[in-house]
Amino acid sequence: MDWSTLLSLAPSILASALRTATPIALAAYSGVLAERAGVVNIAIEGMMLMAAMVGDLAMLYTGSIWVGIFAGLLAAGVLALLHGALSITFKTDQIISGTAINIFAMGVTGFAYKRFLATPELSRPSPSTLQPIEIPLLKDIPVLGDVLFRNRPIVYAMLILTFVIWYALFKTPWGLRVRAVGEHPKAADTMGINVYRTRYISVFLSGLLAGLAGLWFSLEQVGHFDMLMTNGKGFIGLAAMIFGKWNPLGALAAALIFGLPEAVQINLAMSMPNVPYQFMSMIPYILTIIVLTGVVGRAVSPAADGTPYNKG
Amino acid sequence: MTATSKAEVREPELGRLQVLLYRLGVPLLAVITALALGALAMWASGSDPLVAYKGLLDGSFLKTRAFGETLVASTPYLLLALGVGFGFKCGLFNIGVEGQYYIGQILAVWVAINVKGLPLYVHLPLVILAGMLGGAIWAGIPGFLKVRFGAHEVITTMMLNYVSFNLCDYLVGLKGPMRDPRASVPQSRPILASAQLPRLNELPALMANPLARIVVALLVGLVLYLLFRLVTRYGFKGRLSKLNAGIVAAVSLALAAGAWLLLGNLASFGGAFVDKGSRLHIGFLIALAMSVFMWWLLYKTTFGFEIRTVGANRDAAGYAGINITRNVVMAMAISGSLAGMAGAIEIIGLDRVLKSFFSAGYGFDSIAIALLANSHPLGSIVSALLFGALRNGADLMELRSGVSKQMISVVQALILMFVAAPAVISWLYRIKAPRGEKAASVTSGWGK
Repeated sequence: MDWSTLLSLAPSILASALRTATPIALAAYSGVLAERAGVVNIAIEGMMLMAAMVGDLAMLYTGSIWVGIFAGLLAAGVLALLHGALSITFKTDQIISGTAINIFAMGVTGFAYKRFLATPELSRPSPSTLQPIEIPLLKDIPVLGDVLFRNRPIVYAMLILTFVIWYALFKTPWGLRVRAVGEHPKAADTMGINVYRTRYISVFLSGLLAGLAGLWFSLEQVGHFDMLMTNGKGFIGLAAMIFGKWNPLGALAAALIFGLPEAVQINLAMSMPNVPYQFMSMIPYILTIIVLTGVVGRAVSPAADGTPYNKG
Repeated sequence: MTATSKAEVREPELGRLQVLLYRLGVPLLAVITALALGALAMWASGSDPLVAYKGLLDGSFLKTRAFGETLVASTPYLLLALGVGFGFKCGLFNIGVEGQYYIGQILAVWVAINVKGLPLYVHLPLVILAGMLGGAIWAGIPGFLKVRFGAHEVITTMMLNYVSFNLCDYLVGLKGPMRDPRASVPQSRPILASAQLPRLNELPALMANPLARIVVALLVGLVLYLLFRLVTRYGFKGRLSKLNAGIVAAVSLALAAGAWLLLGNLASFGGAFVDKGSRLHIGFLIALAMSVFMWWLLYKTTFGFEIRTVGANRDAAGYAGINITRNVVMAMAISGSLAGMAGAIEIIGLDRVLKSFFSAGYGFDSIAIALLANSHPLGSIVSALLFGALRNGADLMELRSGVSKQMISVVQALILMFVAAPAVISWLYRIKAPRGEKAASVTSGWGK
């Protein structure tokens, strides 16, 4: 393979990278929102699965993809509230609560898949995926137009949410309160911030973002739900969150880096026999470990991350 | 994980009973409540929960070979839960046992294929040790990174999971160095006969060899001797401790001789020993022995005391002069070695070839099993059996009632939730938690 083919493939590799990065980035934002408020959320994977399944189910029974999106988001939000109840109200260890929710979601989605989705009695609407939206004028910019402005809705939503979340967390009073609760809940409480409510809201929003990440699989990419279709992307999202130092902008960059191996693999699978793709797939995980060790820039989590708050 | 024994001793007799009842009652009620909620979900989705649970029970215990298969399914569960539980005791959350399990399999299979010319009783332990070493390294690295750099083990072990899955995929995948070129599916060459963990139905043939019989009989005697010593030293609070070691040794030797006689006639016992269809291997016995060993290590040795002290309060342990670094790395390595052992035993006992990665969901399940047993090595036997039975019975349940076997995951998740949040169970059944009892809390934020 020579450089000119590689160059000609570059736009399509970049476009694939943006696509594969979308669920990772959304999962990372989901983690950022919860952890900035001091709640560790490793149940993102489970919430994604749940949203993907419920979204497909709702689309199947109502015939509307948008009802599917709404129902999927709601389902992930409900799971997030369960995580909130366990970890904020009942003060369960947050990792254990997240683990329980992950097992629960795997079970429920598998159960529902076999019962309702594997051999559906109803047919799905056609098309059963969100269609690409081409943005007039911008789509004609060379390279950039192909990469950025001919995407499907959840990709756009991800890009917009990056800035919305960044702005909300770092430039608004609400964001300041969320971060205060995540860094020093006692002080925040003294200042009159309702720690429990702030955490519940953050965890719920975190659930909605995870839901959007899950819906990318079933309703934007594939068009139906498959068992375990999220394939560990929720956990990679957590890694991207750490890699991006609990900041949405950093998380987006990390997600793009993490999405790249898969994108390269999709586009060049035939033409690169020398490096086994498994080694490329390992890169994100090894990078994350290196970042955690602080060799390349220290990753510091919110101070009260993972600790339940006991009022009074 | 609480430093329980201390607080317990100072309580009056009635208080101790209360604590014990609470500790046994909460997991039991958690299991019952989870099963009841599962039944409710089955009923709501239009299936008959009674048919389903009868199928589950038949499939896990009552049908032919059902119990043997339950033991087969419980074996990796038990070893993995021992690993997770040991980490918990040291305040470490080893969420990556599945990755350590796969590294254990890779190393074990490599030794089982490439080290040639050894007799069974040398090769077999070597293979298991290789698996343990693999798991120990794979978990020891996160332990080291934790104490040296403060990298949280939940993230590092989880990341290493994916590295090991990819590694396994590569090794047996297309052009992988371990792939069997003759096989149509991605898998390694079969392991050598000398590295195959004997199944119960292979024992009568093996025991026809007098040398093997003597080795096994002596091993049985040794294990019994150690067990007797444990029981007489700790079990009866000194009442039997006057039995001197000589008598214990003599009894053990006599039992070993009895074992030698019995081993020759295994075939006449029938059952799994002659059943050609049974997959039950001696791995379950190894796992049981490991539970007792881990109990001894945790509660009867200085090392175990240090581990538990570090787990209960790391700062206090540090001030008391306990070497935190060494204990954390050792605890992770031991935790991982149990996971690696599970991988090794599973592969040399069942498949006997390394297949490309397929997640059996062991990572999460073993956390639930360890927590259900409150990380106690002996309690883990019961909870591993329960989860093994659920996993094994699920197929027949699905066949008979049409309730898909994923319902079992739902039940397991509910069990985990209730055990992890005893406040929910206390509130449901109006039980008051004894003073000093608190929910399992093993983690804090990633940075610490």
